Amino acid sequence: MEPNWAEENLQVIRTLMERSALYRRAMAPVMAFAGATGAGAAIIAEKGAAAHLGFATYWMLVCFATIGGALFLVRRQAMRDGEPFWSSPTRRVAQALYPPLFVGLVLGLVVLASQSRPEPWPLLAIAWVFLYGLALHAAGFFMVRGIKLLGWIFILSASALSLARLIVPDLDRTSFANAIMGATFGGLHIAYGIYLYFTEKSRNAQ
Amino acid sequence: MNPEPFLQLDRVIHEKGRMAIMSLLAASPELAFTELRDALQMTDGNLTTHVRTLQEAGYVAVAKSYQNNRPLTTVSLTAPGEKAFAGYISLLEQIVKQTKGK
Repeated sequence: MEPNWAEENLQVIRTLMERSALYRRAMAPVMAFAGATGAGAAIIAEKGAAAHLGFATYWMLVCFATIGGALFLVRRQAMRDGEPFWSSPTRRVAQALYPPLFVGLVLGLVVLASQSRPEPWPLLAIAWVFLYGLALHAAGFFMVRGIKLLGWIFILSASALSLARLIVPDLDRTSFANAIMGATFGGLHIAYGIYLYFTEKSRNAQ
Repeated sequence: MNPEPFLQLDRVIHEKGRMAIMSLLAASPELAFTELRDALQMTDGNLTTHVRTLQEAGYVAVAKSYQNNRPLTTVSLTAPGEKAFAGYISLLEQIVKQTKGK
């Protein structure tokens, strides 16, 4: 027997224990909530009800509200299951999400402060979709594998929207930016929430 | 090298498949049979055999229930299982120390 077999066994045990401690909260309600908020916010923005706030301020507030709501839902699940909210897997997911989301916040504030004309809202929206996709992809390493795929869908959507801006003229309007936010943060989340609603329940059943 | 720790290793746990099952269960309150199977890429038969061995040793508990009218089998570590696994890890650490101290 190799002399380092015991060390290798310990390494295997450590790796398996880390893999087992994946973030396992049900994501369907969180995704549905995020989607409904995104889609609803886009409709409100299109009706001009939040025009006084401006695109960047409005959507950053929506983002904070969505994160707050999502945390509330996750905390409620943890309490119901009698488990700690700020567990090791939760911490790792949060740590993976923070950097791209922080960059998105800084980008929004910089664009807001620069007061450039014409206002680059569609570009900002696309950048946010890119960054959110990166955040999901990073968090996906500590969650069920579908999250990583959703991250890729956001990244590919942002890529397609970037190309659309080059090909189709006259897309640099606030309504287009709102449509981007509604379709991605609203539509994609809702679609994924519906998918999870059916798959999360049956995932463990055999 | 002192062979004592090696001789004390729990033979039920000291098998690749069962050690992997115990490791996964040690980090989760319980896991579905399908989750274990997918994580370890074992066949149903292989996993069933290993789980049965662990169950007979009193290291794991198997619970059968229904979720959305579909049968759900979950596996969890028992208190003796947790103790045996902790002891197994402790012995491995002793062996590593001995090997390095040679």
